[in-house]
Amino acid sequence: MTVNGSRWSGDVPARQTLCDFLRDELELTGTHVGCEQGACGACTILGDGEAVRSCLMLAVQADGMELTTIEGMGEPGNLSTLQAAFLRHRAFQCGFCTPGFLASAAEILGSGRRYSRRELRDMLSGNVCRCTGYEPIVEAVFECQR
Amino acid sequence: MKPPPFEYHRPETLDEALAIMAEHGDQAMPLAGGQSLIPLLAMRLVRPGRIVDLSRVGELQQVSVAEGRVSIGAMARQRDIEHDPRMPGLVRVAVPHIGHFQIRNRGTVGGSLSHMDPAAEWPAIALALDAVMVAASVRGRRDITADAFMIGPQMTSLEPEELLVEVVLPMRTEGFGFAEVTRRGLGDFALAGAACQDKAVVVFGVGLRPQRLRVVEDFLNRGGGTRAEISAVAASEIQATDAIHTSSHYRRVVAAALVGAVIEESQARGGVA
Ligand SMILES: Cc1cc2nc3c(=O)[nH]c(=O)nc-3n(C[C@H](O)[C@H](O)[C@H](O)COP(=O)(O)OP(=O)(O)OC[C@H]3O[C@@H](n4cnc5c(N)ncnc54)[C@H](O)[C@@H]3O)c2cc1C
Ligand code: FES
Ligand code: FES
Repeated sequence: MTVNGSRWSGDVPARQTLCDFLRDELELTGTHVGCEQGACGACTILGDGEAVRSCLMLAVQADGMELTTIEGMGEPGNLSTLQAAFLRHRAFQCGFCTPGFLASAAEILGSGRRYSRRELRDMLSGNVCRCTGYEPIVEAVFECQR
Repeated sequence: MKPPPFEYHRPETLDEALAIMAEHGDQAMPLAGGQSLIPLLAMRLVRPGRIVDLSRVGELQQVSVAEGRVSIGAMARQRDIEHDPRMPGLVRVAVPHIGHFQIRNRGTVGGSLSHMDPAAEWPAIALALDAVMVAASVRGRRDITADAFMIGPQMTSLEPEELLVEVVLPMRTEGFGFAEVTRRGLGDFALAGAACQDKAVVVFGVGLRPQRLRVVEDFLNRGGGTRAEISAVAASEIQATDAIHTSSHYRRVVAAALVGAVIEESQARGGVA
């Protein structure tokens, strides 16, 4: 598999989930784990450009895939457009939900379509944030559509 | 690690998958999109000795249209179905209600039907469209009607060594209606829902499996009535059970109101009800 542009190959225990593999094996701890049952969205990453729950995949199912985690989206001093918009809009407080929101938003923006705030609100409802109240998150994604 | 240990198989063909199912029978579980099975494993609610990952079985991903019918391979993803213009109208309006788009990116049609969540959209769609489920094992294939397929929560009439390979639906682009009530708009499981295709009426998320409302269908066949009258007939026919978030009373009342709404919607779409 390819993770953030680097190839990785090796054996994994069949029962290891993808989020545990990323965090424990690759030490990519930016992928956060909340509910571990698909509901909260914290663990969302990009698999072949699509937003997927890394808690609902076995690592072995990512065989051959191209994965992007938060560590592959930008870095301090060189933030992605979306990350910069999140910062400008104060779209996070504790930041636990942020990597997942960025992955979901990356797929939404990647579609090239322009959505209304109302549509974005629905589309982003698969990620839970306990801090911000969502307004600034929706604004940041809305702004990046331009 | 949260899931219990298991042997992992990743067959490349259907024959190979069926051979593994035949050999290991009831201690093997197929893995489709994993959106329901991985949490069950992580919570150790299931402990299969073997997992048979169907993701590489190309035969199961086909979608084809012929003679007014649409055949959807069990491993077709919700994401692909949702955007496929060849789908029946009821499928197109109902599938976007399945979870969030991240779930639909992985979840499959066959997984959803086999998992048989009473509040899931696919079993209700299948029942309203009189879908045919095609099951396969090393001994051959058999057709199962939607009604005979679904038994109860996480229970279908598939034998342990059988796989659901495809679902066949009539191509209908008019006369359908669909509505559900959830806690937060799209994304959440339905607290109660209704679907119809012409005079076939189904409620879901109310009892242990989706229910065809034969008394309502008879009422419609005899000329029907006002929306309120239809809902009243539905309310007396619906068999509701209590659930975590909802009482049986709530489910019956809400589903009956939705029945009236979906029939009106289907008539507006040129339905023959
Ligand atoms: C947060 C969240 C929200 C959701 N919301 C909804 C919702 O609103 N509506 C809804 O309908 N669903 C919802 N789901 C469930 C989702 O649609 C699941 O994907 C679906 O129920 C199972 O499909 P799957 O492909 O992921 O199957 P899996 O999880 O891989 O498998 C499910 C079960 O089916 C069996 N199985 C799979 N394929 C076959 C086959 N071909 N033959 C025989 N048995 C098979 C498996 O062994 C397993 O027992 C939600 C899930 C999550 C995590
Ligand atoms: S941890 Fe994966 S969705 Fe919550
Ligand atoms: S910023 Fe704290 S959960 Fe979203």
